[in-house]
Amino acid sequence: MEIVTAIFSPKLMSQIFVGLSRTVILFIVASGLSLILGVLRIPNIWHGSLYMVGAFMTFTISGVLGGGSMGFWMALILAPLGVALVSLIAERSFFQHLYEREHLMLLLLTFAFSLVFGDLVKMVWGMEYKSVPVPRIFQGSVHLFGGLPFPLYNVFLLAIGPVVAIALWLIVNKTKIGKISRAAAVDREMVGAVGINVSWVFAFVFMIGCFLAGLGGALVAPTVNVSLGMDHTLIMEAFLIVIIGGLGNIGGALVGALIFGLAQSLGILIWPQFGIVFPYAAVIVVLLLRPTGLLKSTW
Amino acid sequence: MKKVIYLSILMVGFLGLFLFSSPSHGANTIKIGIVDTYSGPPATMSQDVLDGFKMVVNEINAKGGILGKKIEFVTRDEKFKPDVGLAMAKELVLKENVDVLMGTISSSTALAVSDFAKKEKIPFLVTNSRTEKITGEKGHRYVFGIAENTAMAGRAAANALSRKPYVKYWIAGDDYEYGHSIAENVWNNLKALKPGVQLVDQTWWKVGESDFTPYITQIMSAKPDFLIAATGGATMVTFAKAAKATGLIARVPMYQHTVIDYGILGPLGADGPEGVYGTAPYLFYYPDTPANKTYVEEFRKAYGRYPQMFALFGYSAGRLIEKGFQKAGAVDKEKFINALEGMVIDSPVGKLEMRACDHQLQLPMMFGVVKKTPQFKDFLVASDIVMVPSTDFMPKCEEVLKTRKN
Amino acid sequence: MLKSTLGGKGRILGGAALILLFLFPLFLPRFYIYLISIILLTGLLATSLNLPLGYGGIFQFHHAVFYGVGAYAAALMITKSGLSPWIGFAVGPFAAAFLSLIMGLICIRLSKLYFGMLQISLGSLVWIIVYRWYSFTGGDNGIHGIPVPDVISSPKGAYYFTLLVTLLSLWALHKIINSPFGSALQGIRDNPVRSAMIGINVKLHQLAVLIIAGFFAGVAGSLFIVVDTAVFPDMLFWTLSLEILIMCLLGGWFTFLGPMLGAAIIISLRTFVSGFTDYWTLPLGLLMMFVIFFLPNGILGYIQERLYRSPAEETDFVEQTVKES
Repeated sequence: MEIVTAIFSPKLMSQIFVGLSRTVILFIVASGLSLILGVLRIPNIWHGSLYMVGAFMTFTISGVLGGGSMGFWMALILAPLGVALVSLIAERSFFQHLYEREHLMLLLLTFAFSLVFGDLVKMVWGMEYKSVPVPRIFQGSVHLFGGLPFPLYNVFLLAIGPVVAIALWLIVNKTKIGKISRAAAVDREMVGAVGINVSWVFAFVFMIGCFLAGLGGALVAPTVNVSLGMDHTLIMEAFLIVIIGGLGNIGGALVGALIFGLAQSLGILIWPQFGIVFPYAAVIVVLLLRPTGLLKSTW
Repeated sequence: MKKVIYLSILMVGFLGLFLFSSPSHGANTIKIGIVDTYSGPPATMSQDVLDGFKMVVNEINAKGGILGKKIEFVTRDEKFKPDVGLAMAKELVLKENVDVLMGTISSSTALAVSDFAKKEKIPFLVTNSRTEKITGEKGHRYVFGIAENTAMAGRAAANALSRKPYVKYWIAGDDYEYGHSIAENVWNNLKALKPGVQLVDQTWWKVGESDFTPYITQIMSAKPDFLIAATGGATMVTFAKAAKATGLIARVPMYQHTVIDYGILGPLGADGPEGVYGTAPYLFYYPDTPANKTYVEEFRKAYGRYPQMFALFGYSAGRLIEKGFQKAGAVDKEKFINALEGMVIDSPVGKLEMRACDHQLQLPMMFGVVKKTPQFKDFLVASDIVMVPSTDFMPKCEEVLKTRKN
Repeated sequence: MLKSTLGGKGRILGGAALILLFLFPLFLPRFYIYLISIILLTGLLATSLNLPLGYGGIFQFHHAVFYGVGAYAAALMITKSGLSPWIGFAVGPFAAAFLSLIMGLICIRLSKLYFGMLQISLGSLVWIIVYRWYSFTGGDNGIHGIPVPDVISSPKGAYYFTLLVTLLSLWALHKIINSPFGSALQGIRDNPVRSAMIGINVKLHQLAVLIIAGFFAGVAGSLFIVVDTAVFPDMLFWTLSLEILIMCLLGGWFTFLGPMLGAAIIISLRTFVSGFTDYWTLPLGLLMMFVIFFLPNGILGYIQERLYRSPAEETDFVEQTVKES
């Protein structure tokens, strides 16, 4: 019994929970990325910018609506929708014309978009950091482990993670459009031959994926400083998660996000000076053992 | 498609044209090149430096300039990246032909540019970087330190901390030049004054880190007596917010250099980190001397806000340039440098001397604790302020010069 | 290369350009000498990327890693050991080649997009190590003030050294591309299955290409130290890798000199634009979009299309466009 309490010490539990709340954000963003990668075969570099836009839009919407809790909840719904709308416009206007071309071109186009949006965000919102206040119900902390405080907002994140995961699973596996998307991921020509407009399937999937990016940004906004450059680090982490999870595999995105988030917070516990390296070390280990990712990729 | 090829040729030709267009450098201006971070979190601080500088420049130009020449300045944004900063400095010197270089808030960039200034033999006024290496280990004839450096701040802070009862310390901060420098200086001086202190462990996060929660929870669970937070311009405010949100401030007493500055406490508003100790070379409300009051009034009239400590650096740079060139009698870089050594300027905090031996401006230091006061409703301020004169904590000339290898 | 692009006129143009390059330091202001040095070494970097990318058909998405590792290896060797800087400069390319070998062995089992993404992942790991190992690599500060031998430390000296090394490297790369090895490589790019059937060891060829590309990226890294006397962690960041990719694309990735042209355009544009505004990534992104939609073969590729000479080259060109669409 003593071993159990020693292993599950307050320090450890506290770090595990912090890591899990980070996992939630990573999973939401990475699942969107994985979805787009699996069905459209596009490594969507623009994903990071959309995450950033989601966070900035949350700032603006909650500010316009008074900055209180109501503002935040509205922003949480509206910002990802706004991002999804932007992504739909972009996809219909630009991306869809390149589906028949080499993948490299699509990848570079998403990179071009991320460059353009990087500056657009600067122009619209200015260069300073922005701060989104935590909604009043979630302010403060709860004393969980050995009296150590744990921010209430992070508890909220831990609750919302599974909700999003389940919702996503339902959409992908139980709805008609979800099943069509999965089929299109495996064999788009067959889906087209059966008479389904593959192009609109792609548009739908792209929109969902980008919605998730915006949602991740909106959720993370109260916990971090909303600033330029948040797109760059996140997109790199998201790509790593998708790779170790298995390209196109949403469950893989979950596994990858778990590994990444927990490795970081536990790493800080073990070696505070170099904590940040642990998730990357975990990625190396996974890639050496299974370069195609832990779970099956869709292609 | 012929249009496209014409477009391409036009583009290349266009480029060639601009590549060969040299910028104008009027013989009747003194040109100052400023490299600083104007994007991201440090931007407000760099802007403050610029505003303080502009105040002096406008005053000088209204009087006809120095030696009959107006002061002209150009700015470049280095985005807190040393490679961009260095490239910008090169452009300013090699292409824009500036007479004096000024900048930057990033200690890493400042060191890189300092090297370059030495090679190019151009005076470089470091307005906002704090690492002691600038005038210490990597100091040389062409670089001047204006902001208080980490050696000065470290000593002042260690002095104050050594009189407090804390024993088990934790150090956490930004993993770059400034972070390590301030932490080392505070710690080494503290250990020298009070040998019984213990360093439990250290945590270093990347510059511009946005999510401090995992680091903070870990520090709290280790339960140190005191935390030395070595945060720099990019993370100061966000760390303060996170520290408050996670309850760190309530649990662990903390020290952060520059946390009592208005630039940090202003934006935080009522959310300021109450009870945290800090040092800063300037506060707009202390000391309440006529010189300080006039300066603050002028600043508010021009920019509609209170000056942060950074404006003082820009202001001092302006004064140094003014008196330096006046004393030199010509727009000559070497004469300017000679004139600056030992020069004394007037400032809102009294007379400041640019020490000749190491080219460091001798600023006073305020040590205080963050509190709510009835005088200011929208933000917190420093309280129990002790103003320490520079003579009490400036490292001696011989010590500084010994650190320089050449 | 130029000959096939523009016929006899190509030779004269090429010769003139060469003479001009050697004469520049005599009349151009110092800033432009510095700028052209940067263009030359970045052009070399882009050309080295084009070896696996354009000629090999390999999705080399994180080429900057080799550039950065070469530069850091050289910088660390010079500043930490007591040895002469020349040894440091030589160490850079070999370190980069060694890293290419290791990363290549891991990535080569996979192909196309997967290869690219895996390379980005591994490259990011290398970046994070360099970026966070503050005590060894200087972390975010990078390493600056690297001592460079006097003979090449002045802007003119650095320029001529860079010019010479770049020309030599380009010549070597050109020879490699036009050798049997290079032909086999392009054969693998166009049809890996058939190439394997006629006995070419596909994986071995690809690995060799990666090592060569990495080597010359390392050369570019050492040259950067000569010109700038500093190294920074951003040299290994994925955004630089994609920028070099844009250079190849913009100039024409099925041509030899395309990447060099792309580098020249982008660097000049960036320097010019930065003097006026802080918004550089927006015009760059828009330029990219323009190239992707309207000039997918790049500028030189487009010029080549309009000015092909022999029927044989026309067939090559037709095959290329068919493959492309």
